[in-house]
Amino acid sequence: MALVRKDLASLFGAPTAYLALTMIALVTALIFFDHLRQYNLMLFLVTTNTMGGFDFGTIPETINLWDRVFSPVMDSLGLMLVGAIPLITMRVFAEERVRGTDELLITTHLTPTRIVLAKFTVTYAFVALMMAVSFVYPMAAIEQGGVGIEHLAAVFMGLLLLAWGVASIGLVCSAFTSSQLVAAVSGWAVAFVLWDFSWANAFVSDEIARFLEALALYPRFAAFSEGIVSLANLVYFAALALVALSLARFSFDLRRVGA
Amino acid sequence: MDPTEAATQSPEAQRPQTQSTKAQDVAIRARGLSRRFGSHLALDGLDLDIPARATFGLLGANGAGKTTFIRLCTGFLLPSAGSVEVQGVSPCVDPAAVQRKLGFVMETSRLYPELKVEGFLRFCGGARDLAGAELRSAVQGVIERFHLEPVARRLIGNLSKGYQQRVSLAQAFIHDPPLVIVDEPTGGLDPVQKHEVQQLLRSLQGERTVLLCTHDLHEAETLTSRVAILNAGRLVAEGKTSEVLGRGDALSLFESNRRNPS
Repeated sequence: MALVRKDLASLFGAPTAYLALTMIALVTALIFFDHLRQYNLMLFLVTTNTMGGFDFGTIPETINLWDRVFSPVMDSLGLMLVGAIPLITMRVFAEERVRGTDELLITTHLTPTRIVLAKFTVTYAFVALMMAVSFVYPMAAIEQGGVGIEHLAAVFMGLLLLAWGVASIGLVCSAFTSSQLVAAVSGWAVAFVLWDFSWANAFVSDEIARFLEALALYPRFAAFSEGIVSLANLVYFAALALVALSLARFSFDLRRVGA
Repeated sequence: MDPTEAATQSPEAQRPQTQSTKAQDVAIRARGLSRRFGSHLALDGLDLDIPARATFGLLGANGAGKTTFIRLCTGFLLPSAGSVEVQGVSPCVDPAAVQRKLGFVMETSRLYPELKVEGFLRFCGGARDLAGAELRSAVQGVIERFHLEPVARRLIGNLSKGYQQRVSLAQAFIHDPPLVIVDEPTGGLDPVQKHEVQQLLRSLQGERTVLLCTHDLHEAETLTSRVAILNAGRLVAEGKTSEVLGRGDALSLFESNRRNPS
């Protein structure tokens, strides 16, 4: 707990955290309101063209708040997370190495497992706060638009699990280097490679395509976006976090033997 | 016989006596301790006993293997060969038990500049499983002992190097360990700050084991009772400070293997 408290104090003692929260809220709001503006425009054009006036009974089913606003906003937000989260995770372990404070942590009787757990906890908490901030606008507006709260909860869960998954990847990349730039770039590379493998379907056999799809982040996230909460997807994100924790812990052992 | 050769042989000559030293009188015991980084042998078969409740100096030029030896003692690194015991416990087997018994002041003040002094010391105490009244008392104790009262509520990043080094010393003493390892405590300090830190180290003499790593001969002469000299990862001399450093050729011990690397 001491390290969790210290890391939270360090995180919120610097302007970077507030800047990141403000930026994510701002960008989400811009994406959301831009889609909402386009939806309103489309609605206006459809109703005026067909009836010469506003008659909501004539609006095609495909033009709805969910398909035209919420779903594309969530897709954009998901992709944005892949870009933004490695910038947050890059410093978590790499900065300790550069400062030499990782040695201080080890000699203050914190075991590598406790250090890794504390770092993951603080990062997950910050990412959850980031998601809550970014989700407020769409949730408030869409809830008014008639989308069920259960569906919204599933979408938020998907978004949060995706964010934690990308954070896990970023944390592992940070644990294996002392360069924040290398941590960020490798985090992006791994997360983008894992994002979606549908492009590979044309080049590989069906079995390999199915295997690759099982590894990909986007199909899991997309299922949550459709309001489907399946055990397999929950297990996928839990496994991703566990593998990341183990690898980050392993980086300490590797350093001890001097590799 | 060449004086350097004689000095190189002296630890060998002392080994039977060293090995007979009782375990409780030894704070750190290294036997055949080696550490390799790729093709570079940073520490080469070190045999060394550091007596308990003494201020012991570990001397050597930059790159001699002092910091590697310390990292092996703290459990931060594992040896490539040989063994080391700290207070009777192997840091390879039970690093947590070793870390409970030691305080460590690093070469340069590796602290968190964004934290306040008091907050940082509270963190160090908490990380060492101190809590509640015990933690408050420990933090207050080291603040008073290392004269940190005027800066207790200031950010570490805004402090002078001298104060930062005091903070570094304070964190090492927060759990009142029987063994403290101090690595180059006065590097980069101005003469006044250097004097202040040396005064603090002098005040610790006799009450616990202090392993002082330095390349400052004057510092070793004034603060330590025994010294060992490392050169290119090997022990080249060990004994009473006055005897080892009082020799006319003491400086050659730092340079001999550099000229003729083996």
